[in-house]
Amino acid sequence: MLEVRQISTSQAPRRTDVAPPFTGRTLVLGLGNPLLRDDAVGLHVVRRLRSLLQETPGVEVAEDHRGGLQLMERLIGFDRVVIIDAQRSNRSPGTVRVFSATVVPTEHSASAHDVDLPTALEFGRRSGAALPRLSDIRVVTVEAADVHSFGEECTAAVAASIPLAAGAVLDLLQAWR
Amino acid sequence: MTMKRINIDPITRLEGHGKIDIFLTPDGDVAETYLQIPELRGFERFCVGRVAEDMPNLTSRICGVCPEAHHMAASKALDALFHVDPPPTAKKLREMFYSIFYTTDHTTHFYALGGPDFIMGLDAPPEERNILGVIKKVGMQVAGRVLKMRRDGHNLIEMIGGRKVHPNWGLPGGVSRGINEEQRKEIERLGREAIDFAKFSIQLFNDIVLGNPDYVRLITSEAYTNRTYNMGTVDANNRVNFYDGMIRVVGPDGREHAKYDPKDYRDYIAEHVESWSYLKFPFLKRIGWKGFVDGEDSGLYKATPLSRLNAADGMATPLAQREYERMYEALGGKPINHTLATHWARLIELLYAAERWVELATDHEITGSEYRVLPTATPDEGVGSVEAPRGTLTHHYCTDERGILTRVNLIVGTTNNYAPINLSIKEAARSLIHKGTTVTDGLLNRIEMAFRAYDPCFGCATHYLPGKMPLTVVLRAPNGEVLQTIRREPPRWEAKSDS
Repeated sequence: MLEVRQISTSQAPRRTDVAPPFTGRTLVLGLGNPLLRDDAVGLHVVRRLRSLLQETPGVEVAEDHRGGLQLMERLIGFDRVVIIDAQRSNRSPGTVRVFSATVVPTEHSASAHDVDLPTALEFGRRSGAALPRLSDIRVVTVEAADVHSFGEECTAAVAASIPLAAGAVLDLLQAWR
Repeated sequence: MTMKRINIDPITRLEGHGKIDIFLTPDGDVAETYLQIPELRGFERFCVGRVAEDMPNLTSRICGVCPEAHHMAASKALDALFHVDPPPTAKKLREMFYSIFYTTDHTTHFYALGGPDFIMGLDAPPEERNILGVIKKVGMQVAGRVLKMRRDGHNLIEMIGGRKVHPNWGLPGGVSRGINEEQRKEIERLGREAIDFAKFSIQLFNDIVLGNPDYVRLITSEAYTNRTYNMGTVDANNRVNFYDGMIRVVGPDGREHAKYDPKDYRDYIAEHVESWSYLKFPFLKRIGWKGFVDGEDSGLYKATPLSRLNAADGMATPLAQREYERMYEALGGKPINHTLATHWARLIELLYAAERWVELATDHEITGSEYRVLPTATPDEGVGSVEAPRGTLTHHYCTDERGILTRVNLIVGTTNNYAPINLSIKEAARSLIHKGTTVTDGLLNRIEMAFRAYDPCFGCATHYLPGKMPLTVVLRAPNGEVLQTIRREPPRWEAKSDS
């Protein structure tokens, strides 16, 4: 089932100060290179959520920067996963979107021919790894403006969307209650 | 005929496309090819003004593929910068750590990245050329072994280096912590399993690839052969070493061209600039840049697993040495100039890395408590070099007397190979495209194979969503007119039911 939801940037940011309760092991994973400006937006989002979610039982908040097989291996042992990453899709910078892992070509890859996440997940599953179901993996993306320059701060439009993306993550976690 | 100048479309570059332009002659044969790849901007500027000790951690974030290689090269550059020689325990720990990383990285390449070209066969459709196709063909139990090999490697890297993805360990003069006897035993145990895994992988390659005359013909075919110089790091006995040694360069005929201390790299390596690419093309200074051509008079060199084996006299461990001899015997002696044999060489390196891992894990000094010497000299300039899986990696730092960086120069693994990759693409295209050829997806695959053998890592630029680097092949008339465009999109994965 296809699920692509676009969140308007004019929408008021959701509350990010109330932690939802959970059951099951959940991973909130920010992906990105901390030195490549907007590429790091996923890391900024999880840093914003870290203190809020650290007391929530069963939820782990983490940062990583590799895709493909490495990303799949990171998901082993979790029931549900939210991945937050930068995206380049010719939309206006800062646009926040929510995907199901079944439709997003999630390859946070560093090689021209690394495997994408669904392929990696399939491989993991066939080799007996305890992985979350595809329908329990969601991806929140923020449209990036600059992922080619070295720098530790996001561009303005992307930085402004960090609360929005954090709110989208909390919404997903709420929906899983 | 006169070649038309290529105009780079900056939008294409920013989107992270790999683009191959193929220019035809009036007769419809291939005149020239150009591979353009995205490049990151400004890392050196980003580093200037920071404290040098940050470099092992900063540079390990340049790239998601081989942070450990950058971490090691940076740590060695800091040793040189601060004029301090790490104690034997520190050097051995670093090399053991690096051997574990190599085992993990080469495993991934063979099974998931480059290997599928071979294991699945030349004409397999693109959607089967991945790790799923591989396990379908070689059996499900292999998947578990690959996953275990990777997991063991990552766990040990975390145990020794402090963190799983980005080690937090290398310091000028050594490392931040050592290992105890209990950890050593675990490292040794898993290392012995890694040797078994490497032997198993070579056997698999023997059965599938070498047992098939079509593959052997393919490896040795002219389409995938070029005669460039070869570079690699060697130990005191001219054996392959990944962590330390002299840089040795041999010619297309196998004769030694140069052997130098990595700190003198500027006396041997220069960089050529082409108007159509932002990336520079390193070449051998004393031979000179002669364009994208091979042969003794051209300064092009390769720095790949096969190059390392070509540049050395052998392997320093017994099982890998036996495999080394077997490969050269099978492919007609040294040096081997067949690009696709790089996959075989990578497996021999996998075996060597696993053997070296166990050698070092059983060394009586490995659990020593002297794993760091505190630097006391004033820093000024330092070069550090290791063999990254994708080629010789050089870090060069200059600082002021406080250790604040004033200049940074990096030559990364794949960059060494940028010119030979272009050459390999040109040769594959020339042998596959002739007058009247229709450029099909299968043809594109064969041209792609020429550069996949190098395991090129243009990584830093291709890891945002959608991360897969699309590849476009543009066939052009002599006047630049576009005749045909084939665009390989990153595969869209269709939803499957959860099991």
